[in-house]
Amino acid sequence: MGLFDRFSGWFRSKKKECNILCIGLDNSGKSTIINRLKPEKTQQLDIVPTIGFSVEKFASRNLSFTVFDMSGQGRYRNLWEHYYKEAQALIFVLDSSDKLRMVVAKDELDSMLKHPEIRHKQIPLLVFANKMDLKDAISSVTCTELMGLKEIANKPWHICASNALTGEGLHEGVEWLTGKS
Amino acid sequence: MAFVMMRRDKKDEEDGGNPFKNIEKATVVQEARTFNDQHINTRKCCMILTKLLYLINQGEILATVEATETFFAMTKLFQSKDVTLRRMVYLTIKEMSKLAEDVIIVTSSLTKDMNSKEDLFRASAVRALCMITDGSMLQGIERYLKQAIVDRDRSVASAALVSSLHLSRENFEIVKRWVNEVQQATSSDDHMVQYHALGLLYQIKKNDKLAITKLVSKQARHSLRSPFAHCLMIRIASKIIEDDEDSKGSSLYDYLESCLRHKSEMVVYEAARAIVNLKSVQSKDLSPAVSGIVIEQVAITHPLSVTTCNLDLENLVTDSNRNIATLAITTLLKTGSEASIERLMKQITSFMSEISDEFKTVVVDAIKALCLKFPRKHLTMMNFLSAMLRDEGGYQYKKAIVNTIISIIEENKDAAESGLGHLCEFIEDCEHTSIAVRVLHLLGKEGPKTLSPSKYIRYIYNRVILENSPVRAASICALAKLGAQVPSLKESIVTLLSRCMTDSDDEVRDRATFCVKILQENSLNVSVFGLERALMHYVKTDMVEPFNLKSVPVANTRTESKADVPNVTTIQKSATATASKQDLLAEQLARIPQFASLGPLFKSSDKPIEVTESETEYVVRCVKHIFQKHIVFQFDCTNTLEDQLLENAYVEIEPSDEFEVESTVPVATLAFNVPGTTYTCVSVPEDMDLMTGSFVNTLKFVVKDCDVNTGEADEEGYEDEYVLEDVEVYPADYMQRVLKSNFAASWEELDSEHQSEETYVLSSISTIEDAVKEVTDLLGMQPCERSDKVARDKNSHTLLLAGVYVSGDDVLARARFAMAQGQITMLLTARSQNETPLALVHKAVG
Ligand SMILES: Nc1nc2c(ncn2[C@@H]2O[C@H](COP(=O)(O)OP(=O)(O)OP(=O)(O)O)[C@@H](O)[C@H]2O)c(=O)[nH]1
Ligand SMILES: [Mg+2]
Repeated sequence: MGLFDRFSGWFRSKKKECNILCIGLDNSGKSTIINRLKPEKTQQLDIVPTIGFSVEKFASRNLSFTVFDMSGQGRYRNLWEHYYKEAQALIFVLDSSDKLRMVVAKDELDSMLKHPEIRHKQIPLLVFANKMDLKDAISSVTCTELMGLKEIANKPWHICASNALTGEGLHEGVEWLTGKS
Repeated sequence: MAFVMMRRDKKDEEDGGNPFKNIEKATVVQEARTFNDQHINTRKCCMILTKLLYLINQGEILATVEATETFFAMTKLFQSKDVTLRRMVYLTIKEMSKLAEDVIIVTSSLTKDMNSKEDLFRASAVRALCMITDGSMLQGIERYLKQAIVDRDRSVASAALVSSLHLSRENFEIVKRWVNEVQQATSSDDHMVQYHALGLLYQIKKNDKLAITKLVSKQARHSLRSPFAHCLMIRIASKIIEDDEDSKGSSLYDYLESCLRHKSEMVVYEAARAIVNLKSVQSKDLSPAVSGIVIEQVAITHPLSVTTCNLDLENLVTDSNRNIATLAITTLLKTGSEASIERLMKQITSFMSEISDEFKTVVVDAIKALCLKFPRKHLTMMNFLSAMLRDEGGYQYKKAIVNTIISIIEENKDAAESGLGHLCEFIEDCEHTSIAVRVLHLLGKEGPKTLSPSKYIRYIYNRVILENSPVRAASICALAKLGAQVPSLKESIVTLLSRCMTDSDDEVRDRATFCVKILQENSLNVSVFGLERALMHYVKTDMVEPFNLKSVPVANTRTESKADVPNVTTIQKSATATASKQDLLAEQLARIPQFASLGPLFKSSDKPIEVTESETEYVVRCVKHIFQKHIVFQFDCTNTLEDQLLENAYVEIEPSDEFEVESTVPVATLAFNVPGTTYTCVSVPEDMDLMTGSFVNTLKFVVKDCDVNTGEADEEGYEDEYVLEDVEVYPADYMQRVLKSNFAASWEELDSEHQSEETYVLSSISTIEDAVKEVTDLLGMQPCERSDKVARDKNSHTLLLAGVYVSGDDVLARARFAMAQGQITMLLTARSQNETPLALVHKAVG
């Protein structure tokens, strides 16, 4: 078997690959963000609530990202863990206008970070404080506090305020991720 | 060494037989973890999925935990865009949808593929999606499914429709809401989509009797394109008829009946089956029989397509309507395997006495076909046939049996002994003179070839003692043939025949006397036609010397007869209809010495053909004269130019293919407005394919200018030519019309061995009347028994045509027209002793 594997290794494109797991509560804007990051011609016009997951690809500099965009609805959240093992980077999306559910978001983030497949891995975590355009959106600083990001010890993390509709802030986040991967 | 190699070969073979034979579930589940790898090796993953599917299909049980784990690992393969792998993933999703938990995890991935640009993904994604969806999820993907139902891609639409049909079992209320989309899909141009849409539409509406009735009658009216859809409609229609007492005889029944004439056999069969199975059929006892015949006919033309229906037919075998049972059995006999024959034959003999002769004949025909198909079964068949011979039955039935036995004997030498034995027994007590005569003739022909010809003498001689004169006469001939061909029997036969020389009947007495004489003179083996010719020649002499039989060639080849019989009498007889004109032309031709050797004129074309346009310089008309082996083209020319005198004018013919110009007879002068005639004679090729064609003609002549006033022409002329239009020689040109007053009798005379048959679709003709006229003209034959009159509003008609071919052979044709779906089909059967017209008839219409 080895021979074939080696050959395919040699011929694979020079771009480094990276598997990203994108999670967050429902309606936070995950699919919208991922869609924005894709090359323009493959972007979808209409984003509907994800059921299960969806695989998307996009590239940044010499990195090619494969994103597993998970569904954030309650009944699917316990299925995220099936995808923890291969994750080489994490994106957590917050709806910064949804103060009410910020605790729920923290809860989900914490249980993921505690998960055996994630806990010991030193993989980068990018948090988008999304929907910054909305008037009752809270700042990324407040988000950092509410989410207790500072307590994360063994993972590099970064938070960006973003607007998935215009693309604002997304680039900054991906740049950071590219540097860390 | 050899031993070692052998063992290895064997091992290879075992491995090669089934690569998955030794795989284990645990290993495969383990291997499936590689799906989680960051780099996906598509080839390897495809193989693992194949193994997984193999295991599942072999009945291997995957526990929920391992199934779920494997399933989720597989979901990661969605990151690969490899088409083959993706399709394997779809298959796996479908197979595992009931084994693993949380399979809805792939919902978004599938809906994405469903709308993907990759057409290869879309239909499969729809199917997979519907498999993983439950009631709670369905609403979420409802809009995608509705969209897919009316998708312009047929496979997507069909996938959505079929999947919806499955979904409707559990989620009827939701699927019901898509009725508009489904309705729209029923008018799809695509057969498959239309069929699937109708299926779903029926499912949606099935609880609403009224709506269903409306649906069927509407769809039945708008002719459906898909035969499958028709079959479905037939099933629904027959169900409505069954369920609903009132709808009997309604338009639905008419619809079923109309389907019997559909051009797809499947529809015909389905309709026939539906009608046969209708419990309410009573007054319409005839119709199921009709439909049965349809099945039967389908069985004859397309045995394979009916084989699949054998199961249904098996049920009909025990049908209380014996006619249906008979047809079912004979159909099974035609399509069934060799093994089932005996059982079916037993079944049918059990009620042979209850069915009419007509159906008994059908059975006999089926047996005949079987014997040709399975020669080894001839003994079984012979026994059945002989049992049938002993039973009650009319002339037609008995004749069919005897014909069958005879054809078996002729096809299969092994069957001769037993067959002749049965026939001998039969004529011991046979009330039908013509059958007895036929059997006796056969005994005379085949008896000498058997192992012990002597045993037939008793049977034959018994006839001489006991029967009426035609049978006695036939017996004499049969005995004589035995005597002539089996030297050891000759003496005793001469003794027997001598006793008949005092028979009360002239014919019997003459034959006996003749045969005894011939047998004693030791030469009966003369060619009949040679004899005829020799005798004809003899009667033309002054007959001083006695006729010498030795002068007759001792040939016994049958082929000779075909080439050697220019039946002059028939030609003359047939020509009387157009005698005067024909005679005139014949006389004209006869005066031309070049054509004296061509033999008698067979036919001249009815109307002269204009080969120039009207009001041109020269007007030329052409008449075709058909002889045995030649065609003489007669060109009647008129010079319309006052200032020209044409000399030595003739038509140069460039024949197509094998025709050869043998001679031309020019016309010396063509003065202004004085018609003149020139002839060109071509020889007709023997090959049927080359006998027809078109001829390019050029009028060649020498022109001399002349004074319009005095009419005096110049001394010097110059050569010129004038191109004429082509002249065609049609198959009909070789045919004469003759009227047969009793067509059926003439038809029977020419037995089916000399027959050609072909089915045609007459695409450019829209009414049967036109078709009858067209075919009559194309064949150049005479409609008999007023069969050229087509009854109004009939959608079938039989045209009977008779003619004489240029060789003098009778030619009969029977054209059966049927109109269905606005299209006319024609079954054209021709009979003649001569092969050429048999083929020519089809060439004429083909
Ligand atoms: N105003 C505003 N609306 C946004 C922004 N990002 C996303 N949305 C909207 O938020 C809604 C939800 O977005 P999705 O991308 O479907 O959210 P999701 O996180 O993928 O949701 P699930 O798939 O259900 O987990 C959509 O109507 C988006 O248009 C943003 O930055 N600003
Ligand atoms: Mg989403």
